Amino acid sequence: MLDTRVAQSTIDHAIALGADFAEVFVERNQVNNIATVSNQVRDIASGIDFGVGVRLVYGAKVLYGYTNRTDAEELRRIVSELAAKDRRDPAVSAQAFDFRTAADIHGAQRTLSKDSEVRDKVDYLFAADRAARAASNLISQTQGACGQREQAVEVFNSDGVHIRDTRHYIRARLQAVASNGSDQATGMQTDGGLLGWEIVETLDPKACGAEAARQALVNLSAKPCPSGRMPVVIGNGFGGVIFHEACGHLLETTSVAKKASVFHDKQGRMIANPVVNAVDDGTLEREWGSINIDDEGMPTERTQLIKDGKLVSFLADRLGAEQTGLPRTGSGRRQSYRFAPASRMRNTFIEPGTASFDDMIASIDRGVYASHMGGGSVQPGTGEFNFAVTEGYYVEDGKIRHPVKAATLISTGPDVLKQISMVGSDFALATGMCGSVSGMVPTTVGQATLKVDDILVGGNA
Amino acid sequence: MVATVETNAQRVLDRVIAAGALGDLVVQEESSLSLKAHDGELEEHKVTSTRVYGVRVVKDDRAGIAYSEAADPAALDSMVEQAFVNATFSRVDPAESVATGDTILVTDDASLCPDDPTTVEAKIAAALYLERELTARDKVRNVPYNGVQDATVERHVFATTGRTAHSRDRVCSAFAYALLSDGDKDALEGVQSHTRRFDEIDTAWIVDETYQRCVAMLHGEALPSKHYDVLFDVEHQADLFAVFHDMFSGKSARDGINPLRDKVGERIAVDALTVRDAPLNADGLGYALFDDEGLPTTTTTLVDGGVLRTLVHNSATATHFDVPNTRHANRSPRGPLGVGLHQLEVAPGNVDETALTSGEYLEIVDLAGLHSGGNPVSGDFSYGAAGFLCRDGERIRPVRNITVAGNFYEMLNKIDAIGDTQHWNPERSALMARIRFADVAISG
Repeated sequence: MLDTRVAQSTIDHAIALGADFAEVFVERNQVNNIATVSNQVRDIASGIDFGVGVRLVYGAKVLYGYTNRTDAEELRRIVSELAAKDRRDPAVSAQAFDFRTAADIHGAQRTLSKDSEVRDKVDYLFAADRAARAASNLISQTQGACGQREQAVEVFNSDGVHIRDTRHYIRARLQAVASNGSDQATGMQTDGGLLGWEIVETLDPKACGAEAARQALVNLSAKPCPSGRMPVVIGNGFGGVIFHEACGHLLETTSVAKKASVFHDKQGRMIANPVVNAVDDGTLEREWGSINIDDEGMPTERTQLIKDGKLVSFLADRLGAEQTGLPRTGSGRRQSYRFAPASRMRNTFIEPGTASFDDMIASIDRGVYASHMGGGSVQPGTGEFNFAVTEGYYVEDGKIRHPVKAATLISTGPDVLKQISMVGSDFALATGMCGSVSGMVPTTVGQATLKVDDILVGGNA
Repeated sequence: MVATVETNAQRVLDRVIAAGALGDLVVQEESSLSLKAHDGELEEHKVTSTRVYGVRVVKDDRAGIAYSEAADPAALDSMVEQAFVNATFSRVDPAESVATGDTILVTDDASLCPDDPTTVEAKIAAALYLERELTARDKVRNVPYNGVQDATVERHVFATTGRTAHSRDRVCSAFAYALLSDGDKDALEGVQSHTRRFDEIDTAWIVDETYQRCVAMLHGEALPSKHYDVLFDVEHQADLFAVFHDMFSGKSARDGINPLRDKVGERIAVDALTVRDAPLNADGLGYALFDDEGLPTTTTTLVDGGVLRTLVHNSATATHFDVPNTRHANRSPRGPLGVGLHQLEVAPGNVDETALTSGEYLEIVDLAGLHSGGNPVSGDFSYGAAGFLCRDGERIRPVRNITVAGNFYEMLNKIDAIGDTQHWNPERSALMARIRFADVAISG
């Protein structure tokens, strides 16, 4: 995408101005987003983002700029402007580029640049709408969305890295609204991955619509949730957001390097119940949070974070590795050329265990079964996190009693990891978007159903 | 000839007209400087500039949109072509059009984008000052989130009808969040400040206020679970309204998901509540001379004495419902035509702030999980929260690790009192009289 001579000239200029490290990140991002309401197409938006990000590192300081232009003069101008306050005699030499193409383990077929396949996607969303409406006449509306993008990236740096990759993202979802005249409630089903529209061959629009409708109808009948500290069983798949918020963000060197994570000095120590084993894996074939290379050009990898309750590794980008002495993990990610990279999660999950769902529920005198979770957030410095329950049930005397609504779970990472006492075997992954210092990136969360012995449930009963 | 935004816009609109269609073009240009400090050194120095073109075409009652960050003739032509392709798949909708009129609107740079003599060196010094001064305070472990920013956004709207609009907005900001530790207690708190001119930012206030907030919250504990009267601070009261602003959306009403879609003219809140959208209040950073269809804005009363007076509309939703266009079109270059509020205002009530804070109540100063924990379709919310248990205006003790839950639409009918003084939120995007909500579920 960028002339190698232009990239070399830019990096040589940065090194000549005394930068310890220089990087050029080139991105071309093609997008097609379809939105439906009921059985009508509401909007279709498409376009191409293109830009070049330039990063210079002087010691621990990062200088970053970007432009939509690709000529050498513009990129050298940005370098000069960024380095104006820091220029000094050259400290290192730039290495000659060693070009490589990232090995692609995902193999997308029906890609956006071949065909946006709008009619096929619309048919899928309409079929999901029909299925949702067929579930009940209380389903008053549906909103569908199908987003596909093709992100081509090229990384050059002063260590001699020159590598290209193309990522193909696809995501489809349906939200159903149930209404009884006075109250409304929603349900949502989302599917996605790092592949092309061939994902439709593995999806059933009827199942998608039926699931969204089922959740909406359950929530319409839900009662206010009881509140207070109690045991909670968290469902599989997107329930894994508990680990993402409670622990994952606290293991990114973005926080660790500043000692702004409660886990920054806990490597090698028990931070979780021994039943907890956790992984962040960028290599899972066709998974939403996977990458071939990270946004610093390093092949990604599988990183064991917690083993039998012990913290064994962090997630490190290039700068985080330099600042902490930890090994890089292929986790340097960014939303687009507009952001400098930072250590970020990929596909993050708690590995399955052996506990049975029935045993988890039976062990609860008074608590909640949170079968579906929404998003959440965390303060890395204190470890305080929250996340929302989007489908939940009150549990009493070992039995699931009735649906509950408007619940959130809050705790701290160190506390909740020790409170996970049972992990089931029904492992599943789910797609999400994660926001942090380097923007929004696709991430997968996952787990089997698990039990937290004690956590604060916020309800309005 | 060097291509400009105007000549590129003309090229785009000429192609739209040549195809027998109507259309409008939104162009957004942004430039910014942002600085962050760590360990006494500048950690990040970011200089950015970007421009994106977004076209919307309407042909045969079908609308299509497309965008491009490239501005060469081929890219712009391709963008227009793609918009027409997208339109062929869209629903037939006679309400979709390009608003009529050929007004030319231009904002005043002197008030919205003032010159500022502050040098880059002075901005760097400000970033270093925030981190250095806070780090030097007792028990501050570090200042993980801090920075200063100076950003200018230019927006252009061009329509095939001849209407144009151009605004240039400058916003300077600074923030610091410090981590304070004392034994096994810690607190991460901070503040932010937003102004039009960098030299109006009071960095000493940011340092003092951040530190005081950390100290105040350090020994916070949970409360017994029960229902309390609650006052949100202005920042989070504005956030709460923002989460549920779809209650005013004509587009959500048209999509059949706005729970208030059939309530115009009906009581939705207590008598004391009046809510307006005031885009022309130039004291705020949400000032908007025109909406994203390029139409001039005006003040809109949304809730008057508890009665919902109108939803907010763009040209399409207004036509659909056969009501006046309130000039609330909202469209980024990358997105479809929607609606959005400009600058929300909760009108003053008749209770002075002493009476507002009488008796026992909970003052909420932090909400976590704002968007994941709130559902605008149902009105239900549940958030992590922190604040202070108060009595007669005095903070009795800090409160942390609690949740606040309820239904926002029902809470509008459980308002106990509204203060007689308006306050800006920190972003200066909402002007709020403070509301005392009765009987809110708190879990601790």
